[in-house]
Amino acid sequence: MSVFSTGLGAALRHRRLAGILWLSLLASALVTAGPMKALFKVLDEGAFREALVKGWDGWAFVSFVVTQDRGIAIALASVGAALLVFALLTIFLTGGVLRALIGGKPRPVFRLVIAESAGLFKANVWATIRFMIAASFWLGLLVAGPAALLAKFGKDAAPHTFLPELRFWWMVVGGAIVFLNVGLRYDLARVALARGEAVNARGAYRVAKRRLRGSRPSAILLAVVWIAIGLAVQAAFTSWGLRWNPHTNGSTFGLFVFRQFGFFVLAMVRVGFWASLLEWEDRRRPSPSLYGV
Amino acid sequence: MKQLALAAAATLALALPAAALETPRKIVDYDIKVSLDPETKLVEGSETLKWTNPGGGPVGELRFHLYWNAFRNDRSTFFKESGGRLRSDKADTGKGWGYTDVTSMKWDGAELMKGARFESPDDGNPDDRTVLVVPLPRPVAPGETATLAIVWKAKVPKVFARAGYVRDFFFFGQWFPQIGVYEAKGRRRHAEAGWNCHQYHANSEFYADWGDWRVAITLPEKFVVGSAGALVSEKKDGGKKTLTFEQKAVHNFAFTADPRYVVVEDVFDAAKDVPKDELARAAKALGRSEADLLAGFHKVAIRLYRQPEHGAFDRRHIDAQKWALAWTGLWAFPYPYAQISIVATPEDGTGATGMEYETIYTTLSFKWMARWPLNRIHIPEMVTIHEFTHGYWMGLLASNEFEESWMDEGINTFTEFVMVDRKYGAFMTTPRGIGFTDEESNRVSALTQDHDPILANSWKYATEGSYGRNSYPQPGITIQQIRNLLGEEKFWRAFRGYAERWRFDHPTSEDFFDFMRASGNPLVADLIQKTWYGRGWVDFSVFTAETHRDDGFTGFDDAGKPVNFDPDPKKKEKKKDDKEKDDKGTWQSLVTVGRDGDIEMPATVVLTFKDKTTVTRTWDGASDWIKYRVTSSSPLVKAEVDPERRTVLDRNPWNNARYTKKHEGPSAAAKGRTYALHLVEILLSTLWGVL
Repeated sequence: MSVFSTGLGAALRHRRLAGILWLSLLASALVTAGPMKALFKVLDEGAFREALVKGWDGWAFVSFVVTQDRGIAIALASVGAALLVFALLTIFLTGGVLRALIGGKPRPVFRLVIAESAGLFKANVWATIRFMIAASFWLGLLVAGPAALLAKFGKDAAPHTFLPELRFWWMVVGGAIVFLNVGLRYDLARVALARGEAVNARGAYRVAKRRLRGSRPSAILLAVVWIAIGLAVQAAFTSWGLRWNPHTNGSTFGLFVFRQFGFFVLAMVRVGFWASLLEWEDRRRPSPSLYGV
Repeated sequence: MKQLALAAAATLALALPAAALETPRKIVDYDIKVSLDPETKLVEGSETLKWTNPGGGPVGELRFHLYWNAFRNDRSTFFKESGGRLRSDKADTGKGWGYTDVTSMKWDGAELMKGARFESPDDGNPDDRTVLVVPLPRPVAPGETATLAIVWKAKVPKVFARAGYVRDFFFFGQWFPQIGVYEAKGRRRHAEAGWNCHQYHANSEFYADWGDWRVAITLPEKFVVGSAGALVSEKKDGGKKTLTFEQKAVHNFAFTADPRYVVVEDVFDAAKDVPKDELARAAKALGRSEADLLAGFHKVAIRLYRQPEHGAFDRRHIDAQKWALAWTGLWAFPYPYAQISIVATPEDGTGATGMEYETIYTTLSFKWMARWPLNRIHIPEMVTIHEFTHGYWMGLLASNEFEESWMDEGINTFTEFVMVDRKYGAFMTTPRGIGFTDEESNRVSALTQDHDPILANSWKYATEGSYGRNSYPQPGITIQQIRNLLGEEKFWRAFRGYAERWRFDHPTSEDFFDFMRASGNPLVADLIQKTWYGRGWVDFSVFTAETHRDDGFTGFDDAGKPVNFDPDPKKKEKKKDDKEKDDKGTWQSLVTVGRDGDIEMPATVVLTFKDKTTVTRTWDGASDWIKYRVTSSSPLVKAEVDPERRTVLDRNPWNNARYTKKHEGPSAAAKGRTYALHLVEILLSTLWGVL
C-alpha cells in the first residue's frame, strides 16, 4: 500500500477527525459573524436588495465599499481576530489529531483529540515558534538574499530578460522549495512529539532532521500532491458556490450547507495528509536493534 | 424631428462666439536639431524658433518653459510640491536629476541671454527655473514674426514624471525650450493681452501655441525612434543616425527612443473599423446622416512601439485604438492627422506611462496582465483609449491644463468610460460576471465630500487627491449627469457642437458650459454653477415608508355613536397585528422622500405594492422633501427614489429605498453574509497549508 493510498484511506475512515477540524474552521470564522451581520444589514434595507438577490451589481459593490468603510474596517478587524483564533486552534488540534491517527481508532475521538491536544499544546507552540524562526532564516538566506543579489546584478537589465526572470522564478520556485522543506521539518517534529519520541520542540526537530535526511524529495512530493488535492477541492467548491447564486432564503441555506460540506472535504484532505506523512515517517524509522538495548 | 434638430442647431449657433477653425492659427514654427548621448544622458540642441506676435500691441519680452528644470534639484516648485513622487513613481535623487540650460538665444544677431532671468509667476519660488524671461532689445510688433536662434544643453532626468530615461529607454516630452503662450486680448475671454507661462507644477500639465515642427534627432544607430509627426529623412554616419520628423498643426512635439522597441503597424480604415451599430447610434442622436458622419474620416497609420515581451497586447492596444478613432470620429469629429504612435513603455519605466502628446502617447502593458484571468481586466485598453482621446481634449481643443485641468482630464474621463463600457461592457470582470464598469469606478468620486470646486488652477487644489478628484472623475461624472438631464439627443448635439466649434482653438470652461446651457435646461445651468464653481452635492433618500389598513371611519361620529370599535372597556380589543396580517381591503401609505445637498435634481419615486403593482411619481426635487399619501388595495412594500439611477451624483445610493414591514422575500443580507463567511473560511483554511 502506498503512502498516498494510506492517507486517502485514513481520510475516508477518520471522518469524525475531519469533522473536528471542520468545526474548528467554522467556529473561528463565526468570530466574524457579529460584525458581518452589522455590515450586511444595509443590503436588506437599501436600494440594491432585489438586484443583489438576483445576482451581481457592480455599482452596489463599488458604492458599498466606499459608503460602508467603517463597517468594513470593523469586519476586517474581526477577520484578523478569526485568523488568530484559527491559528491557535490549528496548532492546538494538530497534536491531538496525530495521536488519534497513530491510535488508529476512528471513534470516539472528540475527547481523545482534546485531551491529547492539551497535553501536546505547549511543545507544539514551541515547535511553531521554531518553525517561524527557521522559515524566516532560511527564506531570508536562500531566497531573499539571492534575490537581492540578482536584483543588484540585474539592476540595469530590462524587465523579463534573463536576470529578472531568474530572480522571479527563484523567488517563486526556490521560495516554495525552501518553505516546503522548513514546513516538512516542522510537521515531522510534531509527529515526533505525538509519537513520544521527543519531549520538547528541540528534540523533536532533531528527530525530524534524521527522518528527512536523504528523503527530502519524496517528502516534498507527498506534500505537493496533498496541497494540489486541497487546492482542487477548494477551487471546485468555490466555483460551484459562485455558480449557485441563491435567489431564495432556502437556496441560501442550501449554499451554506454545500460550502460547509466543501470545507469538511478539505478537512478530510488535511487528515489524509497527516496520515500519509505518518506512514511515510513510519517507513523511515530505524528498525529495532537486533541486539536489544 | 427635423424641425427640432434645426431648432437645436439654431440655438447652438447662437451660442457660438466665433466661427470654428479649419486649421489652427499658426503662432510658432520650430526647426530643432537635437543629439542624444545615451551613455551620459546628455542632450545638445539648437532650434530656430519663429514666433509671431498674435496680440494687438508690441511685446517687449519673451517667456519660455524650461520644463526639465523641474528635475534640477529639490528646490524646484515641482519637487517641493510633489516631494519627488508622482503617482506611484519616485524620483531617483541619486543620479536621476535633469536640467535644461539655454546657452545662447539670438535675435537678429543680438544675444538675448545676457538680460534673461528666471521668474516664478505662480509661487514666487526664487529657486525655480522652469520659466525663463527674456527681455528684447526692441519690442516685437503686432503680427511681426521674430526668428530666434536658440542653443541649449540638457540632461535627461531619470523618469518618474512623464519624461526621462530608464536604462536605454528614453521618453522626450516637454524637452526643448518652448515659448509660452502670449494671449491676445479676448483670447480665452481675457480682458487684457499678456503672457500665459506658468511654472511646472506637480499637479499640472501644459498649454502651448499651435504651429509646425521639424525635428532632427541624432543618436546611435541601434535606437528605434517613435515620434510625433512623420519621418521625412534618415541619414547614417559613423554608427549614428539622424532622423528628421515633421508635423504641422500641433502645439507640442514628443519622441521616444529605445533599442528594444518592436514596431507593430496597422491602418485604421473607417470603412472596416467604424462599427455599424455605433454609426447608427451616432446618426440618430446627432440628427445627421451616416454618410455625413463618415465623410470626414480618412485612413490613419497606427504604429505601436512596444517591448519584446509585450506581444500579447498588440491586438488589445490596436483594437482599442481603432475603436477610439471610430468613436471620437463619430461623436466629436474625425481625427485630422495621418498617423498616431502608441508607445507601450517598459515595465520599469512606468513614470512615462499614461501620458499624452499630440499624435503620440504612452500606454501600459504588463506581462502578468496578459494571462487569464487577469486579461479580463481592461486597464491596458482603458489607458490606450484614455491617452489617445487626450489628443482631442488637450490636443485638438487645446485647453489650458495649468488653469483648467478638468477640460482635458475631466472631459477625457467622461469619453473614456463611455467608450470603455460600450466596447467592453465591464471594466474588469471575472468568469462569473463579477465586476464593474469604468463609469462605476469613476462614479465613486460622487460618494465623498471634497475641499474644492471642480474649477481651480491645478496647483491650487487643497491636496493632490483633490486635484485628481476634481480633474478626472468628478467632472467626468458631472458631465454624465448633464447627459442624463438633457437626454441623449440634446446632450450629444451640444457635445459635438462644442468639439467642432473649438477644434484647433483654445476653449475655456465657459465655452464648454455655453454649449451645455444652450439647451435652456435651468437645472444644467444650476448644476454647472454649483459643481464647477462650488462644492455642490446631492443625496436622495427615502425618509419613511409606512403602510396601514384603512378600515374606514373609526371613532365616535357626530351623534356620539361608536363606529368601527367597541367602547366597552371589558371587551378585549382585536390585536392590530392580527388585523394587519390580512392584506385584503384598503390601505393607506405614507412615504417621505428627501433631497439633501444644494443641487436641485428631479427624480422619479416608485412605490411598489405587495400585489406587484407600482405607482410612479415624478418629483422636481426643488424642495428638501416631499410626502406621498397613496390609497391602494394592497399594502405598500417598498418606496424607492431614482430607481433607474439617473442621478449619478447621488452621494449615497444605499438610502434610496425603504421597505415596509409588509415586505416579504429573500434576504440579500443573508446571501451576502453567507458568501462573506465562505470567503473568511477560504482565507482561514489557507493556514492548513502552513501550520
